[in-house]
Amino acid sequence: MYNYDDKTIIACSSGNSRCAISIIRISGKDFLDEINSFFSIELSSLTPNLAKFCKIHVDDKVLDEAVLTYFKSPHSYNGEDILEISVHGNPINVRRIIKTFTNNSSLREAYPGEFSLRAMNNKKLTLAQVEGLDLLLNANSVFSLDQGLSILGGDLKEKFIELHSAFLNHKSSLELGFDFLEDVGEEQFNKNFNESVTKLGNIIGSLYEQRNRSPYNLVKPKICLVGLPNAGKSSLFNNLLDSDRSIVSDIAGTTRDFVSEDIYIGESLYTLIDTAGIRATEDIIEKEGVKRSLSILENSFFKILLVNPSTFDKDFYEDLANVSFDLIIFSHSDDEGFKKSLSKNGLSILQNIGPIEPSDFGPIEPSDFGSIEPTNFGPIEPADLGPIEPKIEISYSANLKSSQKQLNNLIFNMISSKYLKLIDFDPVLIERHSESIKLIYEKFEEYKNTIKNIDDISIISSELNILGHCISELIGIISPDNVLHNIFDNFCIGK
Amino acid sequence: MFDILIIGGGHAGLEAAHIASQFQNLKIGMITLPGVGIASAPCNPSVGGVGKGQVVRELDALGGIMPKLADLAGIQFRTLNESKGYAVQSTRVQIDKVNYSIEAEKLVESISNLSVIREKVVGIENQDDGSFTVSTESSTWNSQKLIITVGTFLNGKMHTGSKTSIGGRSGCEAADSVSDFFKDIKTNSLRFKTGTPARLDKNSVNYEVLEEQPSDSKVNSFHVLHGTNYRKLDQVSCYLAYTTPETMKTIRDNKEKSPMFNGQINAVGARYCPSIEDKAYRYPDKDKHHVFVEPESHELDTVYPSGISTSLPEEVQLEMIRSIKGFEKAEIKQFGYAVEYDVIETTELDKTLQMKSRPGLYFAGQVNGTSGYEEAAGQGYVAGVNAVLAILKRDPLILDRNESYIGVMIEDLVSNTRDEPYRLFTARSENRLYIREDNSILRMNKYRAHLELALDIDQYQEEYCRSFMFYMEHLESLYISPDNDFVSSNNINLAKRSSLSELIKQSDLDPIETLTKYFEYCGLNVDPRLIDCLAITIKYSGYIDRANEQNLRINKLNKIKINWENLCSSENISFECKRRIEKIKPETFGQLRLIEGIRPATLAAVAGQVNAR
Repeated sequence: MYNYDDKTIIACSSGNSRCAISIIRISGKDFLDEINSFFSIELSSLTPNLAKFCKIHVDDKVLDEAVLTYFKSPHSYNGEDILEISVHGNPINVRRIIKTFTNNSSLREAYPGEFSLRAMNNKKLTLAQVEGLDLLLNANSVFSLDQGLSILGGDLKEKFIELHSAFLNHKSSLELGFDFLEDVGEEQFNKNFNESVTKLGNIIGSLYEQRNRSPYNLVKPKICLVGLPNAGKSSLFNNLLDSDRSIVSDIAGTTRDFVSEDIYIGESLYTLIDTAGIRATEDIIEKEGVKRSLSILENSFFKILLVNPSTFDKDFYEDLANVSFDLIIFSHSDDEGFKKSLSKNGLSILQNIGPIEPSDFGPIEPSDFGSIEPTNFGPIEPADLGPIEPKIEISYSANLKSSQKQLNNLIFNMISSKYLKLIDFDPVLIERHSESIKLIYEKFEEYKNTIKNIDDISIISSELNILGHCISELIGIISPDNVLHNIFDNFCIGK
Repeated sequence: MFDILIIGGGHAGLEAAHIASQFQNLKIGMITLPGVGIASAPCNPSVGGVGKGQVVRELDALGGIMPKLADLAGIQFRTLNESKGYAVQSTRVQIDKVNYSIEAEKLVESISNLSVIREKVVGIENQDDGSFTVSTESSTWNSQKLIITVGTFLNGKMHTGSKTSIGGRSGCEAADSVSDFFKDIKTNSLRFKTGTPARLDKNSVNYEVLEEQPSDSKVNSFHVLHGTNYRKLDQVSCYLAYTTPETMKTIRDNKEKSPMFNGQINAVGARYCPSIEDKAYRYPDKDKHHVFVEPESHELDTVYPSGISTSLPEEVQLEMIRSIKGFEKAEIKQFGYAVEYDVIETTELDKTLQMKSRPGLYFAGQVNGTSGYEEAAGQGYVAGVNAVLAILKRDPLILDRNESYIGVMIEDLVSNTRDEPYRLFTARSENRLYIREDNSILRMNKYRAHLELALDIDQYQEEYCRSFMFYMEHLESLYISPDNDFVSSNNINLAKRSSLSELIKQSDLDPIETLTKYFEYCGLNVDPRLIDCLAITIKYSGYIDRANEQNLRINKLNKIKINWENLCSSENISFECKRRIEKIKPETFGQLRLIEGIRPATLAAVAGQVNAR
C-alpha cells in the first residue's frame, strides 16, 4: 500500500525511453513559489496554458533547458495545479531533474497511476483515461504472491518470498497473543514472538545489505576500470575520455587512489572510474587504495578488467574471484614478455594459440582462462537482470592509435546496450524495489524501538502494520485471513 | 398480519425481535420450538471474550439486549488480555444459563408488541405480494418481513459415536419439515460441524487439585445503566484442569470410533475450535491440553468442561474424562456430541443480511455459518433493525468495518464464501486500536442516533459524548508545570511544562490511574467509564493517527458504492471476473476487492467507471 497524501507530486509523464522530448509533470496545490528557485523565470508570471521557455538550474549549475506549460486548477488533467516541463528526452536527464526536485523540496515522486487517481478523485477522468491506474490497484489488491513476483526471477524472488513468510510468521506470533492467549499461554507467545522478530530482522537486514551492495544507480552509473598496476587502466581511461586527466607513466603504481570523470556515452551520462592498481604491497596508501577500488568495483554498473599478461599475479586474481566482469581487455599482448609469462605460469591452453596478433585474437572462452574461475563470467548481479552478452575480449595496445577509436566505439556500444537493456527492464521498478527495501529497513528499525519501549502489544501490532504496509508495497498484501490460516495451521488453538 | 416474523428464539432471534419491537407501531412475532427456553446456551455458558466482548458492548450502545441479560445472569466477570494492551482487552462473563433464559423470557413477556409463538414451523411460503406465510402445527401466520435464525437446525444431524439423530441440538425436536422452502435458497456447498463436550455432575469433580480462577469484582458490567460493576447473582469460580497422556491415549486408541475421523461426519469444523479428537490426532506429541471447568448455573448440578468437545462413543467419553486429574470420579450428566448442519451461502446476502434474490427475507446467526452467541446476536440486531427500516422506507443501518466489530463481521460474511465456521477475532479488524470496548459508546453514537428511537440509554449516552468532548478539550488545552501540586504529590516525573494529555501519554504512567487521580485532585466526580475512554483515547491517539494515515486513501476508495449489474454488462471486464462479481454482487469497491480472483485490470476499470459517474 502506498502512503497517499496530498503532497505535491512529480513524475515523468512521457514514456521512459529515449526520445527527443520528455515531459515531467508536477501536480499539487499552490506549489509554484516553492520550486521557483529551480527556474530562470518568475513562475508567477506564467500565463496558464501558454508555453514558456526557461532554464532549470540548481544553484548556479544549469541542468537543462525546458519549456514550461502551466495549467491552473481546476482546468487541468486532474483538476489540480499542474506544471508540465518539457525537457530533453534522455532518461538520465529526466531522472536527474526529478531527483533534484525531490531532494531539494517537499515534492515527492508520484506512485504509479497517482496522477490519474487524483484525477479520479477530482472527477476529471473517465474510464477511457484511466489506464495508468492499473498498477496502483495491482499494488493494493490482494493478489497472490506469485503473481506479484512474476516479474522477478532467481535469488531476489526467493528473498522476497522469505520476507513474506517471515513477516507472516511474526504477525501471526503477535495475533496469537491477542486472540489465542488462553490457548497457547504466555510462555509460548513470548518464544514465538522473539524468534520470529529475530528471523524477520535477519531477512530485512540481508535484503538491505544486498540492496546496498548492488544498487545500480541509474543516475550516472559507474564504469569501473581495474587491473594490475601498469595494465593500462589509465591509458584506457584517458583514451575513453580523450584527455590526459590521469597521469600516465610506465612506473607501476602511479595512480594511488582512484580518479573519476563524467562521460557521455550515447545520450547518457556515466562516471568513468580508474581505480588504483590492486597489488599486494607494504605501502599503506596503496593498500587503502586497493580496498577502496574493490568496493567501488562492487557498486559499479559496468566493470572492465585490464590484463597485462606479462604481469600475472595470483593474489590479485583471487581478490577478484567473486567479481563478474562485463569486459576483459588484454593489454600488451604483442609483448615478448607476454609469451614468456605464458610458459612461466603454465597457462598451457593459451600456448597452443600460437603467435598473437591484435587483429586476429579471437574470442577466448572464459573456461580457457586459467586461474579466473569460469563462474566469474556468468550472469551479473542482481540475478534478475539476466545473463549479459559481452563475452568479447579485445586485444588492445594503447600505442596503436589507429585502433583506439574503434576500441572506444566497441566499449561504448557495449555499455549503451547494457544500459538500454536495463531501461527496457523498467528501471523504475528496480529503483522502487530498492527504495522499498530501504524504507522497510528504516521502518523495521523504528519497529525495534517500539518493541523495546512499549509493552502494549496492540500498539506494537499497529506499528507492525505500518511496516506491513511497506512490505506489501514490495510483495503484495498479507491479509488477516493469511495470518489466521497461518495460526490455525501451526498452533494448537481452541477450547 | 405481522410486520416482522422471526423464526428461531436463540440469541440472534431474540436480539432481532427485541430491537424490532422497540419501534412502537410495529407488530413483531417470534416463533420458537416448544420446550426450549429463549436464548438458551447449548454450548459454553459464557458471553463475551476476545473480540466478542467488543460486540456485546457495541450492542449495548445500540440498545441491544444481550448485554443486559449477561449482566443479570453473570456469575463470573473477567477481563481477558489484561496485560496485553487496552485495545485487545475484552470482557467475558460466565452466565447462569438457566437465569439467562428466565431473564430473557421475562423481558419478552414485558414487550407488548412482541408475540412469542411456541410451535414447530411446518411450512414457509413467499407470497406474490412479497409477504411471507409461515405455517405452524396449529395455525398460519402472515408477515411482511421474515427473519430466519434457526441456528444449527437446517438439516441438522447429531453424532455421539455411531449413534446419530436428526436435529440441531440435544433434547430438541427436529425442525426439518421446512426444508421444502429452503430448496431454492442457496446453501454453502460445505456442511459445517460443531461440537460440545460432555456435561459433568458438579459434585463429582475434585476441585482441590484444580487451579481456581475467581471472578474479578473490578470488571465493568456490560450494560451502562447497570452502573460500573453490577453483580446480581452470587459470583463463582472457574477451575483449570489438564488432560493427561492417558486421556490422549484413550482418544488415539479409539480413532476408528470417532465420527469425525471414520468418515461418518463429512462436514467442516472450525480450526480455532477443535474437538479433543482433533487435538489428539493433529498434535500427536502434545498430551497436556487445558480444560476449563465452567459452572453452568446455580440451578443446575452440571459443569461445562471447556476444551474437550467430542463426538466419541459414550463409554470412551467416560474413560477419557476420568483420566483427567480431578475428574477421576466424574459422572457424566449429558454426553458430548457433534452436530453437522447446512449453512446459508452468505455471499447471497447484502449488508443488511437480506437475501438479495428474495427481498424481505433475512438470515442471521449460526445459520449463516458463524459460531458464538455474540456473533449471532450482532447479526440478529442488524437483520432486525434493517427489516424495520425497510418497512419504514428509511435508510438501512450499516455499520462500518472501521468502526465496529459487527461491521467487520457482516462485511466478511457477505464478501466471501466461508470455508469454516466464522468467529470474530481481533485480527480480523484493520482498525484494532480504535475499535475497543472502552469507546464503544462514542463509536456507536451516530448509529444509535440514526435509529431515532426513544431508548432508555439515550440520555446517558448523549451526556457521555458531550462530556467526552468537553474533557478532551480541557485535557488538551490545559498545561501543567513540573512544580504543580498534582505532579509533585503523585511523584510524577514531568520534564517540562506539558498539556495534561501529554502527561497522560507518558510511557511510565498508567493513563487510567493518572487521569483518575487528576480528576480526584480537581474534586471532580467523573464516570469511570468515561475516564477509561478518555485516558485510552489520549494514550492511543498518536498511534491511531499514524495507522489512519496509512489507511485513509485506501478506505476512501473502499467505501465507493458500485453498481455490480452495470459491471456485468461492461465490455472492459473479463468473463471470469463477471462470473465472480455476479456471484458476490458487491456493493462497494472494498467488497469488490475482497473477492478472490478479481483482476487488477477489472478494479481499474471499475474505479474509472465509478468515478466517471
